[in-house]
Amino acid sequence: MITKANIDKRMLPSQEMSRLGKIEKIWWSFLIVLFCVGLYSIISGYFLQGMSSTYLSNIVPWGGWVAFYIYFIGMSAGSFLLSTLIYGFGMEKFERIGRSALLSAIVCMITAVTFIFFDIGRPDHIMNSVIYWNVMSTMSWEIHFYIVYIALLVTELYFSMRKDLIKLAKGDNFKAKLYRLLVGNKQEFTEADHARDRKRLKVMGMIGIPLAIFGVHGGTGSIFAVAKAQPFLNSALFPLIFILSALVSGTALSIAIYVIKCKVKRQELDVPMVRSLGSMLALFLGIEFIMVWYEYLVGIYGLGHEELGTIKLLTGSAWWWSFWIFQMGLAMFFPLIILFIKKTRESVNWILAASIMTIIGVVGVRFNMVVPTLIMPKLDGMPAGNYYPNLSEWLTSFGLIAMCLIIYTIGEKLFPIEESDSHENGVNVYE
Amino acid sequence: MVLKAKGSLEPQDYDMLANNFVSDAEKVLEKSPYDTKLGINMARDARNVLSGKLKIEDFHTVYSASLLKEFGDQYASGPEEPKSKKEKGPKWGMVIDLKKCVGCDTCTVSCKAENRTPPGMSYNVVLETLSGDFPNISLVNLPRPCMHCDKPPCVQVCPTRATFKLENGIVAIDNDRCIGCRYCMVACPYGARSYDFGDGYDQEMTGYNDVTSPEYGIERGERKKGKIPEETVRKCSFCYHRLQRGEEPACVETCIGDARYFGDMSDPNSVVSKLAASPRAFYLKEELGTKPRVVYLR
Repeated sequence: MITKANIDKRMLPSQEMSRLGKIEKIWWSFLIVLFCVGLYSIISGYFLQGMSSTYLSNIVPWGGWVAFYIYFIGMSAGSFLLSTLIYGFGMEKFERIGRSALLSAIVCMITAVTFIFFDIGRPDHIMNSVIYWNVMSTMSWEIHFYIVYIALLVTELYFSMRKDLIKLAKGDNFKAKLYRLLVGNKQEFTEADHARDRKRLKVMGMIGIPLAIFGVHGGTGSIFAVAKAQPFLNSALFPLIFILSALVSGTALSIAIYVIKCKVKRQELDVPMVRSLGSMLALFLGIEFIMVWYEYLVGIYGLGHEELGTIKLLTGSAWWWSFWIFQMGLAMFFPLIILFIKKTRESVNWILAASIMTIIGVVGVRFNMVVPTLIMPKLDGMPAGNYYPNLSEWLTSFGLIAMCLIIYTIGEKLFPIEESDSHENGVNVYE
Repeated sequence: MVLKAKGSLEPQDYDMLANNFVSDAEKVLEKSPYDTKLGINMARDARNVLSGKLKIEDFHTVYSASLLKEFGDQYASGPEEPKSKKEKGPKWGMVIDLKKCVGCDTCTVSCKAENRTPPGMSYNVVLETLSGDFPNISLVNLPRPCMHCDKPPCVQVCPTRATFKLENGIVAIDNDRCIGCRYCMVACPYGARSYDFGDGYDQEMTGYNDVTSPEYGIERGERKKGKIPEETVRKCSFCYHRLQRGEEPACVETCIGDARYFGDMSDPNSVVSKLAASPRAFYLKEELGTKPRVVYLR
């Protein structure tokens, strides 16, 4: 058992602190270098050359950034739905990951919006999307839903942390001052406050579920699914697959964050919780597989020229690896096998491996939703497209992913994301 | 100054001559079963209306009572009300006769010249496909402008209402509002929309950047980095700026085989309406229900 070993190996606090400091230094320098490279590429590419800095064309107008945008939207909606299990339905065994799921939902949402911001040709016109609301447009609805959703997430995170914020507001350092500002000079956190905050969280979780499903994630799926010009996307199952793969990636992300964080800090792991999260991941993967199966079955059975062409592009063209290795391998079968065999599904390390595989594989899933259908010519005689992200697009993407991790790390360091009473044995970094 | 010839006729004299050919109103009207006096008065006032001395509305108020008395049910009062504003004016449409198309791409070239589209963008293309096996092969040329659908998917999806349907049937783009998200390009079933990546021919063609095409009648002057319409979506506008000056779209005017027709689809007697009613007529991707305004004749 890893946890026992961790306890046995526990070092002296000072040694532990210096080890953590070293890891943190490496982590920060890695992220900052990556972010700076990304920033350079954004300025030299996007801001100085515009969209011609990408490999996009008139045939494939959406590419890597759109894929990453839906990837992060998915992770956000998935993490959030997981957190509603705790705050909305009172599944308290997952309590430990509640706040971190909310924080990652916020951070992923910010990253997703940043990705799509850089995919827009005229950032100077961006406010038009709020001013001129086209009620017929799914995308227009999405933009408004995202705003409400981020507001809801931030409020929910605030109320879930309020107890600890009040507790930690006594002091003279920067954090205590910040917390005092946030809680508005509230001194005591009474039982009544606790009950009220619980209720608030429950209500927000309940509002959040339809918002995340219909508004944010199903809605983002609908952006693609309503395009009848793209027969491969134009199916009623598509938004559902979107939601399911959101749940898959959100659960995997929560597992990965929790396990990695505990391992780095050498804290005791809640093994039963990780296991039950693992079986939840398996359940979501299983449902997703069923949906994908029927989506492809019905698609192929229709013998539609464009549908067949797109599936052929996915499975047998130069991009085959994206489908077979990433989508079907890393984001479907490997984790399913790991989570199915008794020996591996009980081991935290294997569950972590399955989660990381899923997180990486879903990138491929998202690319496969965007690119192949656009490569397929819309009319006979039109040229087939070709697309893979160029260096500038990759660097920007990595920079924005680094930004995502930076914001998450800052959030973790700045706020009591971990339940303070959940690690009485470990080193409490907030004191 | 021309001297008047002696004995030449004055204008009144011509009137007299003309009057001799006009039959006497009183005599003619007497034969009819209706009121003679009313007829003569109405004729006089009708001339006043024509010469602008009397308003048509006053004419109707003056005579409506007597007319109702005289003609009863047969009398319909008042001038015809103009129908709802939407039905006014032409509804543009295009007919492309594929039997007459020779695949010369003149439409594409003239479209590029007219709209000054950057590299990689052409509002109009001619799609060529070979069908059949050798030696029984045929080459199909399919010119494809924007279909200006009556139910346009691009208008449906635009998050900012930057693309919209005009009353005259044209699907227009407001480049000053477009945010460049390219959703309309994904939603268009005909691939008729392009994104202006900001490229130009200025390196091989002097003066290319001197002027932007006056699409929708908007003079934008020099084409410069970051200036509209760069980084927004563009497409065929049926040469709206040419229509405004009473000219046909460039592709219609230059088509060497006269394969393209352009006109008012709301007028049942127009050439395009008659051709669109032909049994040869079909639409691209009709099954999607987009109701294109471009009709093909096979």
